[in-house]
Amino acid sequence: MTTAGVIAVGNLNARINGQVSRATLGRLTISERAELVELLALRGNVLGCIADAERAAALADELADEAPGDARSFVARARVSGVFHRFASALTDLDIAAALGGDRAALEAERAAIYQALGRYNEALAIRQLAVERHGNFSALAALAGIHGERGEMDEAERWFSAATRSYRGTSPFPVAMLEFQRGQLWMEHGHPRRARAWCDAAVRRLPAYVPAQGHLAELDAVRGETAAAIARLRPLALASDDPDYATQLARILGNAGQMEEAQTWRGQAKARYDELLERHQDAFVDHAAEFWLTIGGDPGRALLLAQHNLSIRQTPRARALVRRSSGHPPG
Amino acid sequence: MTDHNSSPRAVAEPAIDIGDLYVFPSPSRPGQLVLVMTVFPNAQPGALFSDAASYRFRVRPVTIPASGPGSRFEVGTDEYDITCTFAAPETTDGTANFAQEGRCTLPNGATISFRVNDEHGGETPGARVFAGLRMDPLFIDSTGYVETLATQRLAFPVNGTNGADGWDALGIVVELDVATMLGLATGTVFAVAAETVAAGQFPVRLERFGRVFVKNQLLGQYGVDPVNRELDLRELYNQEDPFHLAPDYLGAYRARLNANLAFLDAIDEKTDWPLRPDGTHPLTELYLGDYQVVDVAKPYADDTYLEIEQALLQGRAHATCGGRSLNDDAVDTNLTFVVRGGNGPRISDGVDQATVRASDSFPYLAPPNPDPAAVGRFLVPSKLADQLAFLEQAGLASR
Repeated sequence: MTTAGVIAVGNLNARINGQVSRATLGRLTISERAELVELLALRGNVLGCIADAERAAALADELADEAPGDARSFVARARVSGVFHRFASALTDLDIAAALGGDRAALEAERAAIYQALGRYNEALAIRQLAVERHGNFSALAALAGIHGERGEMDEAERWFSAATRSYRGTSPFPVAMLEFQRGQLWMEHGHPRRARAWCDAAVRRLPAYVPAQGHLAELDAVRGETAAAIARLRPLALASDDPDYATQLARILGNAGQMEEAQTWRGQAKARYDELLERHQDAFVDHAAEFWLTIGGDPGRALLLAQHNLSIRQTPRARALVRRSSGHPPG
Repeated sequence: MTDHNSSPRAVAEPAIDIGDLYVFPSPSRPGQLVLVMTVFPNAQPGALFSDAASYRFRVRPVTIPASGPGSRFEVGTDEYDITCTFAAPETTDGTANFAQEGRCTLPNGATISFRVNDEHGGETPGARVFAGLRMDPLFIDSTGYVETLATQRLAFPVNGTNGADGWDALGIVVELDVATMLGLATGTVFAVAAETVAAGQFPVRLERFGRVFVKNQLLGQYGVDPVNRELDLRELYNQEDPFHLAPDYLGAYRARLNANLAFLDAIDEKTDWPLRPDGTHPLTELYLGDYQVVDVAKPYADDTYLEIEQALLQGRAHATCGGRSLNDDAVDTNLTFVVRGGNGPRISDGVDQATVRASDSFPYLAPPNPDPAAVGRFLVPSKLADQLAFLEQAGLASR
């Protein structure tokens, strides 16, 4: 049993507000500032709020500038760099943190996450396996499950996902909801919509405000032909989130349902937002923007350029598939 | 702060992070025992209790050995628990304003329902309960405290700065009629501990608290523990039953306490607690029994923290109710006890009371800070390296 999502999100907001007030007065310690970066990044992830992630990145930059002798500054910045797909910078920051005496196991875990995002799966897997051998706690088990999933080894991934879930002894719903969502996302990518739905449903039951999980459920609704349900789920997300992914999805589903006028409105909003985000964080949004122009954006040429750029950043199966689709080849 | 942010799990879920425990006879209602637990350090408006945890006061009768000076109370097996649980909140007006209901189960099996943040709380014959956002009653010069630990010398200014100034916390206040709720117990002296426990299939103890600074100070990592220099023992310690430590890690706790208590004793450059021939510190066993001791037959008095413990060590009858009241300067008392053996001169951190003193009447905790942004620097890291970083940031590293 974990704390109700509404309490957890309310408490997360309250905690961020408290830290932000104190940060404004310059009263946060380095560890509290690093914690604030984490909290903002967490809220950004859960609520699909890019502004929070940007704020976290700005605070992490400040922290690294103002506390250059403290490993925690660089760990915090490496994490948010990962969120914005600035993988080379993230790895450099982790090297600096190591030189400053940062905790070796924690840094290795961060490094593995970056390797995984880059498609360097063997290196990531070796670190994750070693971490489980050393201390098979929830985080280590969940991370190992994730890398197996990324490698397409779903039986192995399931085994570790279950082990991670069994090992959880906390009350915060965030880690478990994220694990459930990741499990659903992987099953979706591996062509098992029913399993994907079960896990995304579980994540949303645990954390109703979990925007990416709601977005995936909408996609699953649409796959099942439940267009009205998908639209009803996506409208509030597209309205509330500053991530254009939801407006894109909504425009596509509305378009397919023949509701062209509203589809055009959302399409226009998504386009404007992608243009803006690509300007600021090209590497972070290049894959989603490619999806946009490949589908509802209606510019396959631009989609291909963006997909190729994405592949140049990270050589993952997902990035390769995006290039193939953008080139007009069937998925394979 | 005496236990704020005391483990990774507590940091991840502040709603289960116990900050402090207070146990005292009511100053305004003789015959009533008051138990207060604070959780969620620096809570802000909107903060709520977890519905996935039980918040529990555990009360057991203790006897004081008649065989002369000792360092251990004899804790009875009968238990008088008070357990508060909270529901998932509901919106009452269709907005994001959530109301949370709570329920408190008393030692006699009776229950009290109440609404969080309702000043009047809930009531049943023999007990009253309040839960909600209040001002954190802790007061401490945290910068001086960190500097004292990091430099191993007393570093408090005459006029200190309350690092907890303006902080709020979620508080649970239970007022018990002693005759109704504890009347069947033998004796009048009780051990009290607070804990948060996961609800559901695995009732894991998440946090526990007895005396001030046991986790963040006595189990901290100052590099002096010759056995476990790197291990953060606090998460393991949290999972232990306050009245019955399992043998698995007992050796590790003992080693850490022996080392840290000796480290603290040396802060004033003299030894008040000579180690026993086997290297055991005279206070180790006392602190391993991590609960507060209160005598419900004695009237309320100010500054009674650790008085019963000191009487036990000295082989004399205690004179006060003991426990810890909300305005008690437990930080000074604890430091004086550990560093100077309880013998004067008293060590002061330069902060003698909270920004707003707690009240003498229910719900005792002061109302929440109307301006929660105006808050102090409020953290005592438990690792030496973190303490030095804290001081560097505060511009005190070279002081």
